[in-house]
Amino acid sequence: MADISTFQALDLPPISKIKFDLIRATRECSQRKLLNSAKWAAEMSYGLEVQVETSQLRHQDREDFLKEYDQYTLAVSYFDLKEYDRAAHFVHDCHSSQAYFLYMYCRYLAEEKRKNDNASDSIGPPNKLENEQLKALKMELCKKYANKELDGFCLYLYGVVLKKLDLIKESMEIFVEAITQEPLHWGAWQELAGLITDKETLLSLYLPNHWIKNVFLAHIYLQLQLNEEAMKIYQSLAENGFAKSSYIVSQIAVAYHNMRDVDQAMTVFTELQEMDPYRLENMDIFSNLLYIKEMRAELANLAHKCCDIDKYRVETCCVIGNYYSIRQQHEKAVLYFQRALKLNPHYLSAWTLMGHEFMELKNTSAALQAYRQAIEVERRDYRAWYGLGQTYEILKMHYYCLYYYRQAQKLRPNDSRMVMALGETYEKLERLQEAKKCFWKANCIGDMEGTALIKLARLHEKLHEEDQAASAYTDYINEASRQGNYNPEDQSQAYKYLANYHLKLGQLDEAFTAAQKCSEFPETREEAKGILRDIQSLRAQKEGLSTPIRMDDSMGSITTERFHTNDHTPIGRLSPVNLKFTP
Amino acid sequence: MAGEGGNSEADEKQNPTCSFDLTKLREKVRNYIDTHHYDSALFWADKIVSLSNGDVDDVYWYAQTLYQTGQYHRASKLLRTAKLDKTNSACRYLAGLCHYECKEWQESLNILDMVDNNKLRSFAPCLSESHIDTNNKEPMEHSINLLRGKIYEAMDNRNLAVECFREALRQDVYCFEAFDLLVNHHMLSAQEERELIDSLPFALQCPEEEVELVRFLYENKVKKYNKPQNQSVPNSLCALKENLDVVVNLAERHYYNCEFRDCYKITSRVLSKDPYNSQCLPLHIAVLVELKNLKELFYLAHKLVDLYPNKPVSWFAVGCYYLLIPDNIEPGRRYLSKATSMDRVYGPAWLAFGHSFATENEHDQAMAAYFTASQLMKGCHLPILYVGLEYGLTNNSKLAERFFSQALSIAPEDPFVLHEMGVIAFQNLDWIKAHHYFKEALSKVESVSDQIMVEKWEPLLNNLGHTCRKLKRYEEALDYHRQAQVLSPQNPSTYSAIGYCYVLMGNNIMAVDYFDKALGIRRDDTFSTTMLNNVMEALMIEMCPCDDMPEEDMQVSKKIIFETPESHKESRGGVPSEAEADSSSIMVIEELDMDESD
Repeated sequence: MADISTFQALDLPPISKIKFDLIRATRECSQRKLLNSAKWAAEMSYGLEVQVETSQLRHQDREDFLKEYDQYTLAVSYFDLKEYDRAAHFVHDCHSSQAYFLYMYCRYLAEEKRKNDNASDSIGPPNKLENEQLKALKMELCKKYANKELDGFCLYLYGVVLKKLDLIKESMEIFVEAITQEPLHWGAWQELAGLITDKETLLSLYLPNHWIKNVFLAHIYLQLQLNEEAMKIYQSLAENGFAKSSYIVSQIAVAYHNMRDVDQAMTVFTELQEMDPYRLENMDIFSNLLYIKEMRAELANLAHKCCDIDKYRVETCCVIGNYYSIRQQHEKAVLYFQRALKLNPHYLSAWTLMGHEFMELKNTSAALQAYRQAIEVERRDYRAWYGLGQTYEILKMHYYCLYYYRQAQKLRPNDSRMVMALGETYEKLERLQEAKKCFWKANCIGDMEGTALIKLARLHEKLHEEDQAASAYTDYINEASRQGNYNPEDQSQAYKYLANYHLKLGQLDEAFTAAQKCSEFPETREEAKGILRDIQSLRAQKEGLSTPIRMDDSMGSITTERFHTNDHTPIGRLSPVNLKFTP
Repeated sequence: MAGEGGNSEADEKQNPTCSFDLTKLREKVRNYIDTHHYDSALFWADKIVSLSNGDVDDVYWYAQTLYQTGQYHRASKLLRTAKLDKTNSACRYLAGLCHYECKEWQESLNILDMVDNNKLRSFAPCLSESHIDTNNKEPMEHSINLLRGKIYEAMDNRNLAVECFREALRQDVYCFEAFDLLVNHHMLSAQEERELIDSLPFALQCPEEEVELVRFLYENKVKKYNKPQNQSVPNSLCALKENLDVVVNLAERHYYNCEFRDCYKITSRVLSKDPYNSQCLPLHIAVLVELKNLKELFYLAHKLVDLYPNKPVSWFAVGCYYLLIPDNIEPGRRYLSKATSMDRVYGPAWLAFGHSFATENEHDQAMAAYFTASQLMKGCHLPILYVGLEYGLTNNSKLAERFFSQALSIAPEDPFVLHEMGVIAFQNLDWIKAHHYFKEALSKVESVSDQIMVEKWEPLLNNLGHTCRKLKRYEEALDYHRQAQVLSPQNPSTYSAIGYCYVLMGNNIMAVDYFDKALGIRRDDTFSTTMLNNVMEALMIEMCPCDDMPEEDMQVSKKIIFETPESHKESRGGVPSEAEADSSSIMVIEELDMDESD
């Protein structure tokens, strides 16, 4: 078991070795037309500023590959023109590892392309059951696998097919095998990362000890929302020579985004744009940031720029969708997200964002569909789970709603919004104890919206837990004044409750301050005046009797009776709570 | 044509009444027949008869030419007026054949039988009269037996037909036609077929080097669905490996092993070499149906109907095509019945005809069709199996069981039958028996497919899962469902079965996940919907709101923990009973799946 649970200093081989590895990986992947992995390796390699001896770059192809070079080249040229069936036909009896992989890969892609082209324009789920061809591929690969005839790349393809058929456990095993055989194939790592849903699963995998594992770990931490851990690895990678790699920089930006450190993320993204001005990857995340910051002009600029680079890219479509969304043109936004999905039906954020747009348009069933699709693509997308929860909340299906919020909360345990949503749902289900727990937790982990305490207080009030209610109200007021939040309705309610509470306990000074605050708000002015009057009269009585009370503590009970207060709680017990009260 | 080969040596005897040398002319006639110039042959044969003043041999050849030109009654009349049908077995055969062609079964039989009596009466004088059949008497006997068998079959007298075919085959082991009729029309059960092959006198009739050949070719043909095994071509006959006939037999084996894609690969290769291979076509159609390859089936059916509108297989293809398209059962049925009316003994069409009713839940009509099929194909267990299935679906488990055991007696090794027995036991709530049958079927399947099981067996695994669940062996049940899932991924009923197992194991989180998946694929699944609702509620009640809650901070938190277990127990008590009733609906769906196995 590799120790991946705790982060240690990175153990990287000399950088020239890494560069050599990456160059080799680029060649292997591009021979097999694994274009994205090849691109990744090339990008990484480009970012490393070290010279590799030219003699090392020379490469001798294997004999069996050269023998089938003709068929292979023909197939490759068809592949490049996206004629997959045709390409497959010309390598169907080849035996070299490259050609065989190309054959199977072409068949897979041909099928996927067909499915994609046949998919209806509506946002309904793609007809998953038309998987005859995939099943045939699975059978063939399965036989080969049983005979141990698959190399690292074919294993990867086998894993992909299994994953497409929803055989998650099996495909995970295959990917690990693929990685062990071919550690430099980044695509396999990425696919594996897509299957790992929690840290336990990650820890249970036996991964090869290779420098690339660090990159993988950072990647998976980022996806599991373990942003700090991911950040640590990326930063130390950057320190160890990867600073110029646009991949690493973009991942750092994403990490800042996930940590909701908007400003830092924006700086990194701007930096990234300078490094690689025509880059479209991750630009949709950048646009999300601009959206959150409501920087309309910048968002418009980004949208135009992306549109100039390539109009028909998923990232571009998402950026434009966001742009229309900020302009409140939700129909248009939906249109662009749909276009993105037409281009790539597995593009996660387009599904989620489209769900949001449908929510804006009050089209709950479409929103449900979109969110569900998002989860289908990526089970770890907390925004989709949260969106589902919200939709079910609108549909008043509270148990479902609870389930989805809970899933979202599991994925982001330290996000108060999920916990708040949970609490509110519990409240609707009349399960106030759980609701209380949630609000308290939201407060503990840093409440973003500043409503946890007031909600908690109201709950306590409802349950007649007066002391806790009072303490929560006080905390709320403190917190609100510290953060400069100003919500007259909540605050007036809080002061009113406090005034009454203190008055009941006979703590006239506190009651007086609270009531005075209370009278500043128009809604409660009248009531506040009444309380103030009560305080006045009580004070008058108290003034007269003040000396005898102070003589002996034991007489406290008698005095309270004399004041005709209903409260039987000894004052002494409350004092520790009171200490926290005074504003 | 039978009998035409060996006759030429017989005409050395010159006819005194004729001054011509007829030998040349006779040769000419044979030549014309060989080159299919029947009219010329007819003209000269007629003249030869006159010239030779009615020589038996020449009359025979004259009749032969009449037969070839389709003038059956004329040929028969000629032979009978010359009384040759009584004296000469070759002529008798020909006369019988003529009436057979005209579908005059009884007439034909009379001719064949009459001589038999005659022969019994006067066996000795016969010999001297006929000089044609002295040296090839045996072939005539087997031809007559074969013809008689065909007539009996046409007259629906199957037992006698079987006897005749058997006899013909014993008389001449090379008589493939008799063998083919026995096997292809499913007249014998697997065991009887074996016995027949073992009883054939190969050693007596064949030269030594051919014994292996004939034996191999016949064995290659017999029952393939009864626990099919891999064929092995003996080394000495390696050259036969590429023979299309042998290849088709291999494909058929794949078909019965449910390896449809392999079968399809082979049949399409065969058909590309020999596009109208009559033996391969029905198999190819069946495999196209299994693979739901509509486009190809459409084109094939069109071609067949254009080229061979008189062959039942063409209409069978059309019927199958329509059966595959939803809501087009009615025309499909019409074409299938057309196929059956063209050839009464065309078993596959009868079965498909039955399926057309079965898919519409018209059990009685389906059963009627299956019964007819079972009459036609005595040696085939499939019709009986389907009859049993229909009884099972109409909740008549006693009768169903009886039919299944009948099917089992014909094909004791067929896992499909064992599986259905298991289903019936399951419906009778006899979990242990069901488990036993399913297990047995599984072991049969595993023994056939050495490496990987085929998709077709997904219901078997799922049913095993259901049974294990009923026996409260949840882990095992889960394991079987998982295996089923691997065989046939993305099957909603497997998902909901897994979900249900998790519910019973108390793992509501996983259960919700699986029910959710099942509903994602099949929206209108009531079982999953109700289960999901119940489980969701139970899960939400038992679940603590946050995992890493700092307990000590909240005074009330302890209370919550005490409350939850009780409440969730109550709600869980209600869940299974409700689901129990529903789970049987899963079973029904899967049984329907099994119907299509043809």
